[in-house]
Amino acid sequence: MSSFAKNFTKGVVRSNPTFVLMLGLCPTLAVSTSLDNAIGMTAAFVFVLVASNILISLIHSFVPNKVRIPVFIVIIATLVSIVDLMMQGFVPALSKSLGIYIPLIVVNCVILGRAEAFASKNGVLDSIADALGIGTGFGLAIVLISFIRQLLGTGKLDLFGHQLFSIPGFSDNPISILMLPMGAFLVIGTLLALFRWMGVIKND
Amino acid sequence: MSKDKGFWPVIFLTLVVIVAIVALTLTNGITKDKIVQAKKQAVAEMLATLFPDMQSFDYDEESGLYTLLSGGEPIGHAFMAHGRGYGGTIDILVGVKPDNQSLQGIKIIAQQETPGLGAKIINSSFLDQFKGVGVDEVDLSRNGGKIDAITGATISSSAVVEGVKHAIMKELGSQQKGGNS
Repeated sequence: MSSFAKNFTKGVVRSNPTFVLMLGLCPTLAVSTSLDNAIGMTAAFVFVLVASNILISLIHSFVPNKVRIPVFIVIIATLVSIVDLMMQGFVPALSKSLGIYIPLIVVNCVILGRAEAFASKNGVLDSIADALGIGTGFGLAIVLISFIRQLLGTGKLDLFGHQLFSIPGFSDNPISILMLPMGAFLVIGTLLALFRWMGVIKND
Repeated sequence: MSKDKGFWPVIFLTLVVIVAIVALTLTNGITKDKIVQAKKQAVAEMLATLFPDMQSFDYDEESGLYTLLSGGEPIGHAFMAHGRGYGGTIDILVGVKPDNQSLQGIKIIAQQETPGLGAKIINSSFLDQFKGVGVDEVDLSRNGGKIDAITGATISSSAVVEGVKHAIMKELGSQQKGGNS
């Protein structure tokens, strides 16, 4: 396998940020109440992660070690502010429903983690592969969690204002607890147990 | 390593910050008008849900009162109300008919009530009760008003009612006195 493909697939399964590394769980738990939120959050997250990985891998040989982390933080914060302003201007509804969790991408440990652990030591192409892989892994995880929470928590599935699916009889009396913050923990815990039992995730 | 010597780290970080400032200034320039427009659009859409005939609106910043216009004629007023709910502040848009005597309707703009219980305040079965109610009749039915609380969500229901009542008093109370004297 080429190193691009290897760096990509690694982020999706073997070091999936949510289910294996267990990083950045705060926004994952908080915004996974609807598919719209999950997709919007993934788009913002992937943009910031890819752009920060590209910039950091380009400049990593000039960055003085002493100010390495501040430089990374400034770059990530700038990118997040750009995404935040763009979302407010062009997709205000999404920006409103994601709320504080967009600005909080700045302190998302996955992004700083990839900058420090990967982009600051590797070339541009590998860093892009790494960012896309980790981004896809994050996206799949948050979409899966919000799919389960929305389906069982509200009894129906909506996507950008269109109703895709509704469980007859169930949507009047759904498991509302799954829409609460603790519901996110229940879903993610159950999924983790399931993945380990199935052997998708291995303890190492 | 030479890149860690002397003032170079300080200079480097300063350069990065300058580049960041330039990038953000440019983005702000592109998005500033769009954001103002989007916010205005959001307000217009919000008002149009209560007043479907609305064509334009005036906003008085001092009192927070929106005046809805259709063909230059006022078709009603609207203002924001805030109730203290179970999960935080509930933001409510209140619309009143042009004579300021009865409600056009209300709409919940933002709430963090418990899904499945308190969050039922966004259902039309609850909100429709406010349509056409006199401004002095807004109260829960157990207090002699015309609004029935949602079963199992008394705190959220009464938060909405209290918020609306308070806002009516604040926005219309003074205005009516001024008009009558």
